Amino acid sequence: MSKLPYVVVIAVVAVIVRLGLRRRARARTPRPGAARAGRRPRPVLGDTGLVAAREIRERLRGRVFWIVTVILFGAVAAAVLIPALRGHGTASQRIGVVAGSAPLDAELRALARGTGLSVTITTEPGLARARAALAAGRLDVVVDGAGTILVDKPVSPADTSAPARYVRAVSEALGAQRAFARAGLTPRQVATIAGARPVPVASLQPARKARTTAETTALLGVILTFIVLTQYLTWTLMGVMEEKASRVVEVLLAAVRPIQLLAGKVLGIGAVALAQAVALVAFALALAEAAGSSLVHGAAPLVAAAALGWMVLGYAFYSWLYAAAGSLAERQDQVQSLALPLSAPLILGYIASLVSVSSGTPSLLVTVLAYLPPTAPFAMPVLVGFGEATWWQFALSMALTLACTVLVALAAARVYRRAVLRTGGRVRLRDTLLGARAPARGGTPSPRGLAR
Amino acid sequence: MTGPLELDRLSRRFGDVTALDGLSFSVPAGQVVGFLGPNGAGKTTAMRAIFGLTDLDSGSVRWAGAPVGAAERRRFGYMPEERGLYPNMPVAEQVAYIGRLHGMDARAAASAASGWLERLGVADRAASKVGSLSHGNQQRVQLAAALVHDPEMLVLDEPLAGLDPAGMDAIGEVLVERAHSGHCVLFSSHQLDLVEDLCESVAIIDHGRLVASGTVDELATSGPRRLVVRVEGDREGAWARAVPGVRVSEVNGGEVRLVLDQGADSDAVLDAARAAGRVTTFTFERRRLSEVFREAVSW
Repeated sequence: MSKLPYVVVIAVVAVIVRLGLRRRARARTPRPGAARAGRRPRPVLGDTGLVAAREIRERLRGRVFWIVTVILFGAVAAAVLIPALRGHGTASQRIGVVAGSAPLDAELRALARGTGLSVTITTEPGLARARAALAAGRLDVVVDGAGTILVDKPVSPADTSAPARYVRAVSEALGAQRAFARAGLTPRQVATIAGARPVPVASLQPARKARTTAETTALLGVILTFIVLTQYLTWTLMGVMEEKASRVVEVLLAAVRPIQLLAGKVLGIGAVALAQAVALVAFALALAEAAGSSLVHGAAPLVAAAALGWMVLGYAFYSWLYAAAGSLAERQDQVQSLALPLSAPLILGYIASLVSVSSGTPSLLVTVLAYLPPTAPFAMPVLVGFGEATWWQFALSMALTLACTVLVALAAARVYRRAVLRTGGRVRLRDTLLGARAPARGGTPSPRGLAR
Repeated sequence: MTGPLELDRLSRRFGDVTALDGLSFSVPAGQVVGFLGPNGAGKTTAMRAIFGLTDLDSGSVRWAGAPVGAAERRRFGYMPEERGLYPNMPVAEQVAYIGRLHGMDARAAASAASGWLERLGVADRAASKVGSLSHGNQQRVQLAAALVHDPEMLVLDEPLAGLDPAGMDAIGEVLVERAHSGHCVLFSSHQLDLVEDLCESVAIIDHGRLVASGTVDELATSGPRRLVVRVEGDREGAWARAVPGVRVSEVNGGEVRLVLDQGADSDAVLDAARAAGRVTTFTFERRRLSEVFREAVSW
């Protein structure tokens, strides 16, 4: 049972990667005239693979990558462990009773059940000893049968934690009992009043349920997706821009096609992103398992797998756009204005999904965004977390995103091919997208488009 | 000139600017070919066209009679005008990577890279990042990147710009050796004296068209004749300015260098010189490449 989530995650990732690779390998059909091509059999992915391998080496070489990785692992560890530890901390309250009685103990236990706490009740010989135990942290609350409640730190009326509610409930109950006693009620009457139960309140709207662990996983998935996407998409954009700015792209394009260079960069950086995300998710699940966190139970692993799958799709969709944007720029200061319009839908999807998870209900906005490729990577995992997406809805959204990714990739390759060699100022998108002239790649002019 | 690489009526306009205007010439194998022209003549555009790095409006580039495609370009080496290397990548790894992109396997690329770095005198920097090297050393690494896959044709855009004499000698030596082992070598330069020393042939272009081409010897012995005359007592060569059909191209240490028009008579020049004083030098000289260049591009 415990190994299952990992196996599922790894299997899904492996299938996606394999499918991606096969699609690319098939796309590389040799041209008939190129019979004299190689002095060696080309590697599996050809030049695209070489470019991708260089990207991976380059990223792993950078110090930034390792710093970010350490920070992400730290953040994941904190996100998993802190709730788990807090859960342990509030699970049991130690109550010291001075001058108590069996009915008082029974009352204290009943109130604890009412606030969802478990309590350990010890009888203290005197108030001074009890006070000392409280100060030393051996007790959480001291209840004096004579009519006082002692705590270490003041309890704010605004504090809604279970221990705070418990202290307030004990204080009110003891106060009421003393009042009943002063009123001269018989024990029987006191018992009847103490056993009073509130009249149920019915509402027209259904009650809002507490957040499930699947929703928490979805929340973490959305945050992780956002961090990973913004990080690696920026690298893609900067990487393309730097190749253009350093003019190394001229040397590279003298040997390989623009589409190979572009695809290699997208695949290479994507592979690093995916590896990091898989490592983070595996780490989170393993840690949650070890710490006894509820994150590994129920639908949570499935939601984690869905979030990871959508991260891959999100990267696939956006990476082409960011790479094309990078080819339009030549300097750092041009990057800002190019990245902003691209990051807007990303941020919209992220914020809308976050708000939806926090509010505990899938809003109409998120339900719509789950089918739009730019925002689906955030919104769809949230719907899965809420248990609101059927398999076919999930598949439909994926198909839509994949189809749009292909279109975006084609347009991006066109922009990239036309812009990356054009130096001396920012290239306008219109010029690259609408330019109708057929390129003559040294040979006769032909209407060959992107696939040079 | 005929040779395996042929540029056939290449035309390319950038807006109002005509970069290439029906440029045609060939690059023979086995000799270093200099590619000359004033700034903006279209040299870089023509070189980029060979590698498909610029779109052409018309015309074609052929190698051994067939249009140049991706497979052919794999066997060419290119050193662009604006040098391009990854500044953060180690030198040897970068050269080997470019070798691999040209179709070498990993082991061959690594050994060729270290061989060329050794040959060009930058082997001790093989593990350094490219960005940490001096300009001259980066240029050597760039040349190594163009040579690593043992290309059949080498195209170099201003390979000698900004180099010290030792750097020029090192790179020049490699170019001559490549050509003499039967490869095509085409390089552009502004340093005409150097081109004259290195090249057997040149192609000179202006305004996107070929204006002169041939072997350096052919070009030097064709065209208007040169006379170098020294007349004692007239260090400025004032006597020559009155001789019809003769132009003074330069005065250097009492010697005047004269350009004779088609119909000018050298005997008449000698008579005029003797009338001005005792003649101690009277020599016919070859056209220098710089003169060929100036006359071709109508300076």
